[in-house]
Amino acid sequence: MTFERAQFIRAAVAVVLVIVAAYVFGWYIPQFYESSTTYLWAEAFYIGVAAMGLNLLTGYNGQVSIGHGAFFGFGMYTTAILMESHGWPFVATLPVAAAVSFAVGVLVGFPALRVKGLYLALVTLGLAVLFPQLTARFVPRDLCPTCGTSQVGELARSKLRPPGWVPHFISANDQWAYYVSLAAVVIGLIVVVLMVRSRFGRALIAVRDHEAAAETVGINIARVKVLAFAISALYAGIAGSCFVLVKRLATASSVSVFQLSIEFLVAVVVGGTATVVGPLIGAVVVVFSGRWISESFPSTILFLHIDDSVKNLLSPAIFGIGLILLMYVLPDGIVGGGRRLTMSAWRKLRGRTSPPALKGIDA
Amino acid sequence: MKHARGEIRLRTVALGAVFALLIAACGSGRSSSNTTNTTAGGGTTGTTSVINASQCDPATATQGITGDTIKIGTSLPLSGTYSAFNAILQGESAYFSYLNSLGGVSVAGKKYKIELVSKDDAYDAAKTSTNVDTLINSDKVFALFNTVGTKNNLGIRETVNADCVPDLLIASGAVQWGNPKYPFMLGSELVPYPLEMQTFVNYLKANKPSAKIALLYANDDFGQSYRESLQDLVKGTPITIVKEASYNAEGADVKAQVTDLAASGADTFVLGGTLLACPNALNAAHDAGWKPLTYMSGTCVSKLLFQLGGDGANGVLSVTPLLDPSDPANGSNPAMVLYKQQVAKYQPKADTGDGIVAYGWSTAAVLQQILEASPKLDRTSVMEAARTLAGVKAAGLQVPNSTWVTSASDWFLGETFQLIKYNKAEGHTTAIGPLTDLNGETAKLSPASLLHS
Repeated sequence: MTFERAQFIRAAVAVVLVIVAAYVFGWYIPQFYESSTTYLWAEAFYIGVAAMGLNLLTGYNGQVSIGHGAFFGFGMYTTAILMESHGWPFVATLPVAAAVSFAVGVLVGFPALRVKGLYLALVTLGLAVLFPQLTARFVPRDLCPTCGTSQVGELARSKLRPPGWVPHFISANDQWAYYVSLAAVVIGLIVVVLMVRSRFGRALIAVRDHEAAAETVGINIARVKVLAFAISALYAGIAGSCFVLVKRLATASSVSVFQLSIEFLVAVVVGGTATVVGPLIGAVVVVFSGRWISESFPSTILFLHIDDSVKNLLSPAIFGIGLILLMYVLPDGIVGGGRRLTMSAWRKLRGRTSPPALKGIDA
Repeated sequence: MKHARGEIRLRTVALGAVFALLIAACGSGRSSSNTTNTTAGGGTTGTTSVINASQCDPATATQGITGDTIKIGTSLPLSGTYSAFNAILQGESAYFSYLNSLGGVSVAGKKYKIELVSKDDAYDAAKTSTNVDTLINSDKVFALFNTVGTKNNLGIRETVNADCVPDLLIASGAVQWGNPKYPFMLGSELVPYPLEMQTFVNYLKANKPSAKIALLYANDDFGQSYRESLQDLVKGTPITIVKEASYNAEGADVKAQVTDLAASGADTFVLGGTLLACPNALNAAHDAGWKPLTYMSGTCVSKLLFQLGGDGANGVLSVTPLLDPSDPANGSNPAMVLYKQQVAKYQPKADTGDGIVAYGWSTAAVLQQILEASPKLDRTSVMEAARTLAGVKAAGLQVPNSTWVTSASDWFLGETFQLIKYNKAEGHTTAIGPLTDLNGETAKLSPASLLHS
């Protein structure tokens, strides 16, 4: 009896929290905050989408990629070029961007069948390094008059307006970018949940945990691995499309592509690998921590005066130290660690062992 | 059942974390959700037609001016490969501290202090875009000032023009800032890149009429400016470009390219790169035993970069709109005395001999002249004033007797400048010949494809 009541209370709390979250993210932030804040949240959302995709590959399927910035870039450039030089509306570019990044994912997935672990990481790193060279070579001026040699310059504001068919509360460009990124998160989340619980999701995990055993039970390893790569790339591509709405340009340098790839990976690890919402929380941490650190940084520590230039150098350092500490305290990420802590708290409270969750499937 | 319970616990934790972050990220409320969508309004229309302000929202015309303070914003690389540009910020900050100590800048009979908000973008155009969003909408700056980079400013030009935020004194000599579609932009006193090429080609015509040029350029918009203008200018002359090579603009590794260029048989070397790529190229040329007549981008004119160039830097030509702070001959110039004294006072860590610090200092002085030329303190009036400057004289370390002018038909500032040559033994540059005055020529000398891109 008491057990069922406790369960009911927890379910009720969860429902209330979901409603509050829906209000906060669906209404309060986009309607009452300045555009710079909504853009920042939208950035957290699209990084979250890319991280969710990377998590499918790395967390659930065990393949490491540090080149997801390139898939992201394919989506970004597809959308930006179609909008800028072909006058497409944003929404119409999404399926194309998704298809392009999916196709590139399949292409990269095949060599991934042969190489594993660190070697695979190196192959994907190569992709991240190669991508800016591709844009420098294949994004010519005549294709797009405002393009630089490798960049699609800022898109005109009129091209980034919300289309006529959206509800009227989405009136400003930043709100449109926000809601599109939010929709990508929600849909991405639902798809991940469904996929992880499906036959395919179990196959992903089986291949990760024991390839030979998975093969003996009839799983087509090659198909699963390549598909994992392609779906993961598709997520990154959609995220790249959202980038165009948020940043209003397409740009790629070997530094920025590599940095994005690492940010996705950090989001996955900080949030919790092989958890559904972990990458999203990780993305929020990645996007907001830098700003939060630099804004809350004191201008004097004891008797030392700290000027802006020092602050600018210190905030990434603090982020790095924070990352190391977090990995010590919560090696399984915020979600994994949080789950572990609540479980042990629960055990102490109840004085008995609660049944452990199945790793991977439960998440 | 196990699943459901695990889910609920998970969701609770997740939402808790998100709320904590939300509270941490709290800011001010949205004042008007529709401002970004304003299409037409009854904005103030200037008396002249340089700036059409009919698209501007009158509600934000004086944003960033509170009491006697003008808040301005800048985005520049303070970390990463281009972090040496930190020196620009040192020069600017020193000038504004000095100006504020005198009471500030006078606009329409009232004195205002200047507050500068700086943000690091690591030279990444996507970060510049975010910084500018934050500067305009959160920090509520009046104008942008000396934001660094060609691609970085190309990535914000729709925003600054739609919001009517003056993007003043852009730290780039690209000619795109003269595109009439984007009136809210103005390049700084840096010599427009095509004028650098014009000056050097003129020098060659007089001194080396059948020069064989090898060109090294950065593979970005900046490097392309040099390449396209040089190709344009040598057409129909005995001067030829015998070999071209580009290098990755994110790095400064140019050795392989320079070795190639050295083997091409060229006797003249044009260096369309910036920062560390310049000394690296000079060293590589020296190591290859190549002794061409070298022209180096004006963006590399800095004591430190010349020193790093070693023996290869001796005799290198370039242009500058400013006095060389490391030349002892300029030591008694009152502008130089003031600069050294004030930078030492307000930015003790800055190297006053560094041309990049001098550039920041002087650009801040140009901003003062723009603001003082404006009859009213609102965004459109200031932009109008910036586009119709009757004559900037003696701004910071501006080369003596030069005047920088803008007008309805001429949107480029740094068109009067000095050809210089570096002397390694003496450790500074010296002027070659008289001032070059190409006022009003930039638009004519620039390839149309660049100007209107």
